[in-house]
Amino acid sequence: MAEQSGNVVLSLEDVHTYYGSIHALKGVSLEVREGEIVTLIGANGAGKSTTLRSINGLNHPREGAIRFQGREITKDPAHAIVKSGIAQSPEGRRLFPRMSVLENLEMGAFQREDRTTFKEDVDRVFELFPRLAERRNQKAGTMSGGEQQMCAIGRALMARPKLLLLDEPSMGLAPIFVEKIFEIVREINAQGTPILLVEQNALMALDAASRGYVLETGRIALEGPAKDLRENEQVRKTYLGEG
Amino acid sequence: MPASVIGALGSAFVLLLLIWVIGNFSQDPSEFLNVFLIGLTNGAVYGLIALGYTLVYGILQLINFAHGDVFALGGLVASTMILSVFDLTTTSGAGIVIVAVAATLAVAMLFSSMLNTAIELVAYRRLRNAPRLAPLITAVGMSFILQNVGLIGWGVNFTSVPRLIPNSVAFSLGSVDFQWNKLAVLLLTFPVLLGLTYLVRATRQGKAMRATSQDPEAAAMMGVNVNRTISFTFMLAGGLAGAAGVLYLLNFTTIRYDQGFQLGLIAFTAAVLGGIGNLTGALVGALTIGLIEAFNEGLTWYTPGSDWTRSIVFSLLIAILVFRPEGLLGERTPEGQ
Repeated sequence: MAEQSGNVVLSLEDVHTYYGSIHALKGVSLEVREGEIVTLIGANGAGKSTTLRSINGLNHPREGAIRFQGREITKDPAHAIVKSGIAQSPEGRRLFPRMSVLENLEMGAFQREDRTTFKEDVDRVFELFPRLAERRNQKAGTMSGGEQQMCAIGRALMARPKLLLLDEPSMGLAPIFVEKIFEIVREINAQGTPILLVEQNALMALDAASRGYVLETGRIALEGPAKDLRENEQVRKTYLGEG
Repeated sequence: MPASVIGALGSAFVLLLLIWVIGNFSQDPSEFLNVFLIGLTNGAVYGLIALGYTLVYGILQLINFAHGDVFALGGLVASTMILSVFDLTTTSGAGIVIVAVAATLAVAMLFSSMLNTAIELVAYRRLRNAPRLAPLITAVGMSFILQNVGLIGWGVNFTSVPRLIPNSVAFSLGSVDFQWNKLAVLLLTFPVLLGLTYLVRATRQGKAMRATSQDPEAAAMMGVNVNRTISFTFMLAGGLAGAAGVLYLLNFTTIRYDQGFQLGLIAFTAAVLGGIGNLTGALVGALTIGLIEAFNEGLTWYTPGSDWTRSIVFSLLIAILVFRPEGLLGERTPEGQ
């Protein structure tokens, strides 16, 4: 990774995480640098979501260390981790179904102390997702999957994150929405937010990312620049359905 | 039975009920309104307890069966404040009574909110990820423990306090009398309810509560301190139960260690009737039950009478659970089906 010059924002060092008695992560190490989109690809059950849950404090690792901007956050509670600058658009969106779009965005900014820039940030989200502006007063639970995904990403942006975690943003969406979502993911990144992207749609993910990791049964099997992974024989066979 | 038949039967029942209410009203309008006022007052006290059930259920999907006993202990603590600390009698001056009652209310609410928070911390928190039956059984056990604390602390007999707020007539509208003791309950209850509504709808803490009740993990991902939010909810529910304890004591002048069980069941029924988890619903359910009781016991025209009050209230609970489990104002939710 010598060609990557940005500072390390997030690093996982030999992280072991358990799901009950299941040893879900068996020593995962990875890093995300300033300005990057890093993608984590792998099959169902490989530990992609567990990796994110280890980072965001919902499932603390038993061993290993997680550092964010140089500070160890391994055992911090979830709400403190959000406050330190990591926001997430979770798998399955997880919007508050009986709150309106606007209230959901408000929840995204929950831990921020400066309320003055709230309006500005809502406008920014509405600029990225004009569809949400039309539906600002609609209950989030009544929207389509694509709209909900937009709202979930918008909600995460409301935290003004220093690192954005995206868990399966394309899941269950029509192809046209998938294109749109990835376009916006690139745009968010271009505006300066590093992103850790977990995806089953490996093709789209590797196209968007600068680097990638391949997770297999709780271990990092492969890592490298996205374009190298894209050309890798094994990746093409297993994850891209080619060759 | 097909839904249409049930619907027709339900409509017929509501129609009969309406005829019965109008019939009673035309028999003696002023007596009807007096009874209505009694029902409203009792319903308000039930409402304060029912809100506690529904707040806690909303956030943890737990029926906190110990909640009624928090109410009873709040009332018992209030009785000690009135009898031993302030040593009030019916001849105490109005100024002293007002100050002492306000202080008693504050102490009882503080006590009950701390008790309820402690119960969550000790008994329910470590069962957060256990199967739902575990905290439910724990709640029943907690209820027994609290009853026995009341029994040890205040004995097996009713504790009586003097009638501090007189049941004399404050003012009359036509021939309907508004008595001080009932008026006091209503005057204390409605500000509390407005405050609660404001808190849940408009404050940051309220938003945290709503978010946690809809999806605790997502709330944590937004930076909500979920444990603290749950503690706050129990504190709030306990405070309401404490207030209900004081109002009950002032209105009926006696309280006993085991009264939380009965009042708790009625309040639970009210919460289910309105749609458990729904704040407005809890209040609507409580007022409905208060009115049903008062009508049944106070009216005369084709009325079953007080022997039937319990049966009617709990038949209502069963009917609601069978025909409309989401309650009067509840929403049908996937997890609630």
